[in-house]
Amino acid sequence: MTFRDIPDLALEDLDRDGAIREAADRLPRSSRGGFLKVVAGGIAGAVALGRPPGARAALARGDVAILNYALTLEYLQDAFYTEAERKGALAGAAARLTRVVGAVERAHVRALRDVLGSKAVARPFFDFRGVTESPPSFVRTAVAFEDLGTAAYKGQAHLIESPQVLAAAVGIHSVEARHAAWIRYIAGTLPAAEAFDQGRSRPETLSLVRSTRFVVARPRTTAAKKPAFTG
Amino acid sequence: MAGITGLESVGDPASRDRFLTRALVAGGTLLAGGALVAGLPKLAASAQSPEQDAEIFNFALLLEHLQAAFYGEAADTAELDGELLEFAKVVAEHEREHVDYLQEALGSSAVEAPKTFFGAATTDPDAFAAAAITLEDLAVAAYNGQAANLTKGALRAAATIVSVDARHAAWIRAIVGRPAASQPVDQPLSRAQVLAKLDESGFLREA
Repeated sequence: MTFRDIPDLALEDLDRDGAIREAADRLPRSSRGGFLKVVAGGIAGAVALGRPPGARAALARGDVAILNYALTLEYLQDAFYTEAERKGALAGAAARLTRVVGAVERAHVRALRDVLGSKAVARPFFDFRGVTESPPSFVRTAVAFEDLGTAAYKGQAHLIESPQVLAAAVGIHSVEARHAAWIRYIAGTLPAAEAFDQGRSRPETLSLVRSTRFVVARPRTTAAKKPAFTG
Repeated sequence: MAGITGLESVGDPASRDRFLTRALVAGGTLLAGGALVAGLPKLAASAQSPEQDAEIFNFALLLEHLQAAFYGEAADTAELDGELLEFAKVVAEHEREHVDYLQEALGSSAVEAPKTFFGAATTDPDAFAAAAITLEDLAVAAYNGQAANLTKGALRAAATIVSVDARHAAWIRAIVGRPAASQPVDQPLSRAQVLAKLDESGFLREA
């Protein structure tokens, strides 16, 4: 395989790609921008709720916020691969990756929810608008998600207080990098384009996620009529 | 490319001096390329300090030197071709940049490049892939194992390197048709564990 000399894929590029924009234009305006509210509200609520003393090792407030931020990104990846596997439109290497990576992302969600307990942010609603059914769109989006996941974990490492949380986070961080390289290989782009990977801040990452409009305020129905009451 | 050979088949068994484990891990000091690397750091997260950062960066530098030598030799050989050669060339450049970065950060206290012996691992495709997987996984586990011991600034720097090594590990697996990341979390290794695995590899030779 000779790698094409193409610039790094990024969520910004995906948004310019057309497919996502076309789909986003069909999305009701009210559901846009709901993502940050969901995340911010979830974190604030979780921190305020707290847990009974002694129920679980106390987590610093900052670590709870970081873990919930990570959980939100993992929810996104989990939903993406799980939907792609369920739709069954992928074949070969991409289908194989989807099975393996999907299982890993679901494990990340379970682990983070377990650590956070009652402080875990709720799972948002997602609408991938056909990206999981189109192999080329799926691969491009997966590249962007995994590069972003790697950069997002990297951007938090030095902000984590607990050595235990840090150990888990760096162990997940390098797994996301492995995923990024694997899907990039499948996409035919350099798996490791630079000698150094740069991190991304939380606002930067959330803004990129929001730009995809994959996170929606509530499940979307495309039906013209309300579902009939059959009970 | 089926049938990745294990590292035990790589190189001349007679050349595998057990010097690292015998002289260093057991003795508590590490002689590499003539430079004295300070004693093994405590495994548990200890108080971070610039001095400990330097110790850990020198440990990382040893691994990066080893990787740079490995890929440099593999890229220069006429034996590899296609995807493996492209991988070797790209990764050799990355590892050289990692060496440069760590050397610059360490200044005069930087450890010298160790003497290496790779045998068939830089010429035989299967042996090359197996060795690359071992070296990259080892580097990832080594960096991850030290994360909590680094000051925040040093951690930020190390984090920009470790994910690139993880990408290399996945890339070479993808080339040889192996699942590139099937574990949810990369398990860290202590410095002693990393040195023991280096010793097993037989890639480092006494100066």
